[in-house]
Formats: sequence, structure tokens, C-alpha cells
Amino acid sequence: MAIRCIVVTPERTELDCEANSVTLPMFDGSLGILPGRAPMIGRLGFGTLQLDTASGTKHYFVDGGFAQVEDNVVSLLTSRSIPIDKLESDSAETALDEALAMPSKTPEQMQLKDTAVRRARGMLRSAR
Amino acid sequence: MANARALDKRRKSIKNIRKITRTMELIATARYKKAMDRAQAATAYTEQITKIVARLAASGMDVKHPLLEQRDNVKSARVLVLTSNRGLCGGYNASILREAVPRIRQLRETLPLVKVDVSGKRGINGLKFRKIDIAEQHTQFEDQPGYDDVEKIADSYLARYITGEIDRLDVVYTKFISTSKQVPTVETLLPLGSLGEDQDLDEPRGANVDFEFLPSAESILEEVVPTSFKVRLFKCFLDAAVSEQVARMIAMKGATENAGEMIKQLSMTYNRARQGQITGEIMEIIGGVEALEN
Repeated sequence: MAIRCIVVTPERTELDCEANSVTLPMFDGSLGILPGRAPMIGRLGFGTLQLDTASGTKHYFVDGGFAQVEDNVVSLLTSRSIPIDKLESDSAETALDEALAMPSKTPEQMQLKDTAVRRARGMLRSAR
Repeated sequence: MANARALDKRRKSIKNIRKITRTMELIATARYKKAMDRAQAATAYTEQITKIVARLAASGMDVKHPLLEQRDNVKSARVLVLTSNRGLCGGYNASILREAVPRIRQLRETLPLVKVDVSGKRGINGLKFRKIDIAEQHTQFEDQPGYDDVEKIADSYLARYITGEIDRLDVVYTKFISTSKQVPTVETLLPLGSLGEDQDLDEPRGANVDFEFLPSAESILEEVVPTSFKVRLFKCFLDAAVSEQVARMIAMKGATENAGEMIKQLSMTYNRARQGQITGEIMEIIGGVEALEN
């Protein structure tokens, strides 16, 4: 039995394949999914999506969003998904610098900055 | 009688124009197909979002979010006008501006602070001509708007809305309904009226499945709402791009047909003029011969 993993971005369906197991980058850490998992909807963080397929493991960087598991179908909604080997650590580093330089005078600004920093850190972690 | 050579010259130039307009029509058709495919690919995402929202609602959660609620005193608004970068697309840009300008004026009368953002060179020029100040300009959107670019704009609006800099965001764009119908519309994207668009009615298939929410339904909702705003804005951009290509396609088709008709007319006049010239020459020759015979 295998899991079907679908990654959808607003631009197109990025990935639609079968996998033995999927590791999702949830907002608070990784979550492994094996066939037969109970249905769930979860928030994704910024991190690496790992697919264990018959032809080897695949890694993708996922830029936040949601995951939904139902009937052995894992669908991920994310604004961006990039194969790990195409990720550049330089751009991630500049993104982190920019995020750290953001103003944080009000609670709202702090929240925005926080998200930006977490995003850049996740990207950097995946790129390495 | 018109000069036959001048007529021929004109006919030739019209033939060249026809070639150009036909090529432009073909290009617009190809681009339209591509833009259409992209717009359709985007629906997969919106459908999934709608599903998640439906499940959240089915779990007995009250769908409430600051982005969804109307603010009590609206002080400043922002209007985003989506036009094209290039012309030669019939009434596309004109109809958008016709929709946008009265709306901007009306908002300016009622609200103390209204800023206008424009995407597309045509709209920038059009609004400048109408003496409307533009706060932000975007010219990077062509026939295939990228989500990354749109997301940046969406993020800046969200940040402004959350921090209270704006209380309302209107988007003026051309809604694509079918190949033969596109309507310029004004949509209020912030505050978002509802989440499910018009698909609230269809119940999700597995409504009775119990979902586990990680970390909680509230937290997911908190994320879903901004995402669905971004996607809505992206959809506006996609719709505008498709509509632009359709408008250009139709305009160029009309131009090609008109050029054909003009060529027909000119050919007729040209032939008549040429015949007239020949007749005149023959008459001269006959006249000369007759004069010699006498």
C-alpha cells in the first residue's frame, strides 16, 4: 500500500506521485505519515518535505501552507515548493538578513518579522 | 481620376498592416491558451482551500477572523487597478478605467484618504491623464503573472491592513467569464467578505469524517484566511491576463478583417483607375491615327 502525495501551488500542481512514506514539515517540527493514517488537517511550516518513493528519497522545500491527509492521500497546499538541489543558500542568507533588519516596534510588525525570520531560517536549513 | 500608382502603394501598405495584425492575432491566441491553462491550474489550489474551509466549518467551528470582518469606521482605502502594459487590445483598458475612475472619485468623496495603485503602463498613463495620483506602480506583469510577484503585493497589503494603515482594499480588474464575455468589475478584497466564494453550497464529500487539526482549528483558520486572500488576488491577476489576451485577439481579428475589406475596395478603385488610364491612352492613339488618315 502506498500513499499518494499531491503538492499544489497557486500556479500549478507541482507534484503528484506515489510514496511509501511522507515526512511533512509541520509548523512545530516534522511529522511522518505512513499508509493508513487517520485524517488530519495541519499547518505546515517552512522546511523540507521528504518523500520515500520506490525510486529513492526526494526532498522539497515547502514554503508554509497546509497539509491534508485523507484516505492515504496527502495533499499539500503551499505557495512555493522547490526541489532541494535547486535551492540556493546565498539567497536564503540574504533573505534572513533582510528579515532580521525588519522593524518590530508594534506587535503586528513583530509578528510579521517573526514569520519572515522563521521562513528564512527554514529555507536556510533546507538549503544546507 | 485617382492616381493608379498611389492607389497601388496604399494597397500594398494595407497588405503589410494586415500581415502584422494577423500575426498579432495568432500570438494573442497562443498567449490566451497559455494564460487560460494557468488560470485553470490555479483552480486546483482554490478548490483545496475551499475544502479545508468547509471542513473547518463542518467541525463546528465559528469562522471568524479580523480579515473577514467589516471595520466600523473606515478611514483610508486603497484601490488597485489592473490594466495591461501594451495597447492594441480594443476597449480593454478603456473599460477598466471607466469602471475605476468613478469608483475612485466616489471613495475620495466619502473617505479622507484614498490611494490608488496601478498595474500596467496603460492604466498608469490613463490615470495620469485623468489627474489621479498614483501611489504605487507595477509594470512587471505580462501575460503570465507569477505568484511570487503577486504574493509580494498581497503581503504588503496584508501588512498594511493588519497594522491599520488601510481599512479597505478594492481591486478593479476584468473578470473572465467566457471567451466571449469579460466584465470589468470592482471587488472588495479586504475585508474578505466570505471564504468559500460561491461554492459554499456544495457539501464536502467526507463531511462525516473526523479530522484531526494540528495544532488546532483556530490556528489553521488564522492561516487559511490570509492565504485565501492571496489566492483571490492572484486570481484577479490571472483573470486580467486572460481577458487582456482575449480582448487583443478580438481586436486584432477585427483589424485583420477590416484590412481585408479595405484592400478589396482599394483593388476595385485601382482597377477602375487603371482601366480608365488605358482607355484614355487608346482614345489618344485612335485620335492620332484618325488625324493621320485625314
